[in-house]
Amino acid sequence: MKREPGMAYDTNVLNKIFAVISVCFLLVVIWMVFDDYIRPWKAVQVKALDIEKQKTQEKIKEIEGSIDSEKLKEVKANIVAAEKEIEGRKAELDKLNEEKAEIQRKIYVQNMVNGVNGSQAAAYQFKYEHALVEKHFDDAKKLKVTFQDYKKKEIEGKDNLKGLQASEGKVDEKIKQLVASRTEAERQLKELMGSRDLLLQAMTLTEKTPIWAMRNAPFIDYLDPTIKIRQYVVQNVTDDRYFQHVPKIDRCTTCHVFIDKAGYEDQENPYKTHPKVDSLAVGVNSAHPVKEFGCTSCHGGVGDRVNDFNSPAHIPQNEEQAKVWKEKYHWHEPHKVPQPMLPLQYTEGMCIKCHKDEERIPMAEKLNHGRELVENYGCYACHKIEGWQHLEKPGPALSKVTSKVLSKDWIKNWIWAPQAFNPESRMPQFFDQPNNSAPEFRARNQAEVNAMAEYIVKSNTSYKPIQKFAGGNSANGKDLIQTIGCVGCHTVEGLDEQWNKVGQKAGPYLTGLGSKVDPDWLVSWLKQPSHYDPTTIMPSFRLTDKEANDIASYLLSFKNEQFASLKFPELDPKVRDQILIEDYFSAFETIEAAKAKLSKLSEDERTMELGRRSINKYGCYSCHNIPGFEGDLPQIGPELTKEGSKPVEQFGFGQQTHVPHTRHGWLTQHLKSPRIWDVGVPKQFKDLNKMPNFYLNDQEVESMVLVLLGQVADRIPLAGQRRLSAGEKQYQEGMKVANKYNCYGCHKIDGVGGALSEAFEDQNYGPPYLTRQGFRTQTDWLFDFLQNVHPIRPYVKVRMPTFPFKHSELNKLVSGFQGGANQVTFEENPKIEWEPGEKAAAQRIWEEMACATCHTLGFNSDAPQAPDLHYAKKRLRGEWMESWIANPQSYLPYTSMPAFWDDGEGKLYPAVDGVLDNDPKRQIRAVRKLIQEFGYDTKPKPFPENK
Amino acid sequence: MIKEAINYLSSPLFSFTAFIILFALAMKRIDIVGTKKFGWGLLIFVLVVFVWMVSDPVFFTIISLPDNVPIIILNGLVFWSTWYALYRGHQNDLRIEAGEGPIEGTPENREKVWAWPNLVYTELFAGILCTIFLIVWAIFLKAPLEEPANPTWAPNPAKAPWYFLGLQEMLVYFDPWMAGVVLPGLILVGLIAIPFIDVNPKGNGYYTFKERKFAITGFLFGWLALWVFLIQVGTFLRGPNWTFYGPFEYWDAHKVVAENNINLSEIIWIKMLNMGLPKNIFVREIFGLIATFGYMFGTIPLITKKWGQSYLERMGAIRYYIMLALILGMMSLPIKMYLRWFFDLKYILAMPEFELNL
Repeated sequence: MKREPGMAYDTNVLNKIFAVISVCFLLVVIWMVFDDYIRPWKAVQVKALDIEKQKTQEKIKEIEGSIDSEKLKEVKANIVAAEKEIEGRKAELDKLNEEKAEIQRKIYVQNMVNGVNGSQAAAYQFKYEHALVEKHFDDAKKLKVTFQDYKKKEIEGKDNLKGLQASEGKVDEKIKQLVASRTEAERQLKELMGSRDLLLQAMTLTEKTPIWAMRNAPFIDYLDPTIKIRQYVVQNVTDDRYFQHVPKIDRCTTCHVFIDKAGYEDQENPYKTHPKVDSLAVGVNSAHPVKEFGCTSCHGGVGDRVNDFNSPAHIPQNEEQAKVWKEKYHWHEPHKVPQPMLPLQYTEGMCIKCHKDEERIPMAEKLNHGRELVENYGCYACHKIEGWQHLEKPGPALSKVTSKVLSKDWIKNWIWAPQAFNPESRMPQFFDQPNNSAPEFRARNQAEVNAMAEYIVKSNTSYKPIQKFAGGNSANGKDLIQTIGCVGCHTVEGLDEQWNKVGQKAGPYLTGLGSKVDPDWLVSWLKQPSHYDPTTIMPSFRLTDKEANDIASYLLSFKNEQFASLKFPELDPKVRDQILIEDYFSAFETIEAAKAKLSKLSEDERTMELGRRSINKYGCYSCHNIPGFEGDLPQIGPELTKEGSKPVEQFGFGQQTHVPHTRHGWLTQHLKSPRIWDVGVPKQFKDLNKMPNFYLNDQEVESMVLVLLGQVADRIPLAGQRRLSAGEKQYQEGMKVANKYNCYGCHKIDGVGGALSEAFEDQNYGPPYLTRQGFRTQTDWLFDFLQNVHPIRPYVKVRMPTFPFKHSELNKLVSGFQGGANQVTFEENPKIEWEPGEKAAAQRIWEEMACATCHTLGFNSDAPQAPDLHYAKKRLRGEWMESWIANPQSYLPYTSMPAFWDDGEGKLYPAVDGVLDNDPKRQIRAVRKLIQEFGYDTKPKPFPENK
Repeated sequence: MIKEAINYLSSPLFSFTAFIILFALAMKRIDIVGTKKFGWGLLIFVLVVFVWMVSDPVFFTIISLPDNVPIIILNGLVFWSTWYALYRGHQNDLRIEAGEGPIEGTPENREKVWAWPNLVYTELFAGILCTIFLIVWAIFLKAPLEEPANPTWAPNPAKAPWYFLGLQEMLVYFDPWMAGVVLPGLILVGLIAIPFIDVNPKGNGYYTFKERKFAITGFLFGWLALWVFLIQVGTFLRGPNWTFYGPFEYWDAHKVVAENNINLSEIIWIKMLNMGLPKNIFVREIFGLIATFGYMFGTIPLITKKWGQSYLERMGAIRYYIMLALILGMMSLPIKMYLRWFFDLKYILAMPEFELNL
């Protein structure tokens, strides 16, 4: 080693080290730049270019294939011929062009001169006026002269310019005429090839040219890159940043490049088109254009993160997808994301956050189904859910139940396990569950059930049935159940498949009634439900005594012997006392004091006390009216209004490690078997989880979880919410009533529901669709009809029942239909004024169309196949009648009413030739006038009512 | 089985005690510690154990958090630099004993060289290499950018930056005012005061252990046991809710630990004397006051008499008493830790009325 004095190291060696590490440093810096530059989404966009190019090429090929080559040849030949022809007029054309150039030069000069004169005039005008203000009158005089001078020049100049422009136009016209043949040929060529040329142009944008590479090169790609993050800033939906709400930023389209472009449906994600691009979302013409709504507003997830696949909190639908994603994208559960993406099957839940006031949300079938279930099973009764408070208790009143059911034992066994009697029962099971099936808990539960039944029986008021069961023809009963409309709400044991398929659940599944109810009660109930229970939604079908007995005898013919023979264990007074002392009396007192308190009560009082306490404990009063539990009692379950935003950490998973640690994982498990959380957790009897088991199937669970996941806490700005107009609000209020009485079970109301109607082979014989009902019928007719049902279609067997509407409900329902159709409340009594010859024409049309063939009533004695037109005047709105006659199928797609005036392509056409100037509108109006003229001013006699 | 034992034994009481014992042994048997054989042996042992521990998924999850990687690096560096200093010191001590003088004092090592390029150039190398290292580190371990702060959803565990985790661990044993203000203040003041207190000229310019035994032991105790070790505890052994978790224990946020700590006044008045707490806070806290003042002032003559006489003479009264105050302050931390572990003692002196809890 060579060392100079004063040197510890050889400088050459030091220099070499320096060189090496400097190069390393440089390489590391370059590495850093590339590490920053290379992003997964860039690769996605580069691949997207290839896909786009390929798609465009395919389209070009397709278009080229469709071009008529003969025509193309001809057009090209035309161009050549035209060129030749124009060649002959060259001298003339040249001269004209020269002339045009000279004129254009003059125009240019004149424009400049005009500009100078104009601005001078304006300046001198100001100077002149300013001099006047300053009272320099001498100057003002001079200035005025100069101003006027310039103004005059300006006006002259403008005039000159107009002259020049006119002569330019004339020359242009001449030139145009000379080259007209070529212009036409070129136009034809463009027409032929235009869309192909546009596509070719579009394809150049997908080419990876050197300029493209430069625009996207590291360091310079800040200038004008083509590969870049694409984002939507959604002003009307905000993200909660905890200290501030900020507009949502969605960058999903950075990778989901073609999500808004139709034509990429066949691609893999992320290159796929949104499956509902034109109807529901993303597309410009859809209900939710991506520009206004973004992506994560509905899907959830973190829209502003594009680092990699995991950063926006993608969530797979199921285990299989999770596995695929793990392999493909190294997917993992997102950390610390309050609202990860909703698995695809739950996306509809998010509709709720903006569509708060709507009873049924269009295009959200699954959500509507889920909400129906939440309503049917009465989740809202125990759990507060905002927007559901108007609903009434889902279970029947129990104040007179002893006169309904056959025995006390039946009540006990029913409380113990309702599904054992009725597998379709909506009454959930509280007992014999995973957390209370240990023998000591069972004994206590049995004591509770005994006490509750005792309480219910003792607190009952007596009820005297209005009719005695006299026996009947059960085959006839079955027939009636199937035809008059019972299946619009109930499924019934033993019915033909066609009718049980209707599957409505507004009323209970009717099974084993012979082992359950008192026959006299059943007949009385069928005759007049509101006599037994004034709060019931069960309507009267105006049954005759025979009909009621027939139906009753059919229903009673089904027995559940096994259930009826069950003996419930007797009340064990020791266990009863133990529960009272340990769980109730000693809550705030010592055991001694509790015992003393108990000893003061008689045996009976103790049982009643435990019964009352147990009803309180299990919240029976939430669903049933029970004497002693009137008034505003607390809801027993936790509030669910913001369940969809509850942090996963706040869900108790207990020992259930197999349940996925997600919101939907917990909710799904909870709905399937709610008590499982207590398994393996040592708990005291009084602390056991009390959520009952509804024995829901997987599909029901999924729909209900969807509803719960949609109950998020997000604050949506007013502008982002679906806001209802006054009419729509009225409509929604009305539909709440329609929903309560399950009108949807029979009628399809504006496209929703109608299961019974659709069960009919010929829907003309089923309950009619109610499409824009408020526009169809007059308000006061509907109001009266719902109270006093009268026959409209005498040939139809299914009955419109008489519902026990409250007055306020009736008003809401009727005004809802009216508001939803934007109609005035009262339709003026039509004044029929005929134009000359119109009435004769109307009569001719009536004859030619043979209206009375179907609308026979009042015209001939044939069997009617359509309503009596004499009552149309009071029932229908005139405007609707015209609209109906013009196109009946647009209201009732199944109707047998012919569309006489429809030309088959949605346009009107004169049905009767040579009448009323062949104006279809006037012809229809004439028929409407005719029907209104012969119409009665009275209403038909209502059906006799059971009173 | 072994892992469960380690989980159990790594609770602060056992691991801290073991650490102190090992530390005391190391200081005592510098003739073993300060050899290359020992250094290699220890390195191999530590590496083998570390590799074995890393093979455990739970432990790996904890140490591979981007935040925790610096601690692993810190451990390596601390291990190396401590051992190296002790090794060099031991070498010199042997030479000095043999009358050869320290190795730094040999004529060839006393030769002077130019600052440029010998020093400045090599410093530049170090700077570049360090930058390269930091860039590569940043490429592989991205800075963890987390969610926007959510006041209703705090991270659990909420941890300080890694270099403050020892300080955070102190909060377990002391009132925030003590652990967060007084003790860190003492550390800063003490570190600043060292050059003024330490007048021992030996060891200037060369490594030695024997000639500065007290200074080195005292400093290393504070640095290794009370700072680095507590950082390890705070980083690897404290999970959600700042509860203790063994190195192989899953951080289950629901872990429940029964910790019912009571004050000295409660121990004496209620538990021992079986009477209520006196109303007057000075009477109530009389034992705490006696203990505190006894510790801070009463121990001084005892210590001086037993060990301090020669230091007092050598350093002068002011330096000596300042040093003693600092050492007593430092020692209050392990003392309080043991009191907590053995007696569930919350505060020796509990005067929340004056925001004074010791």
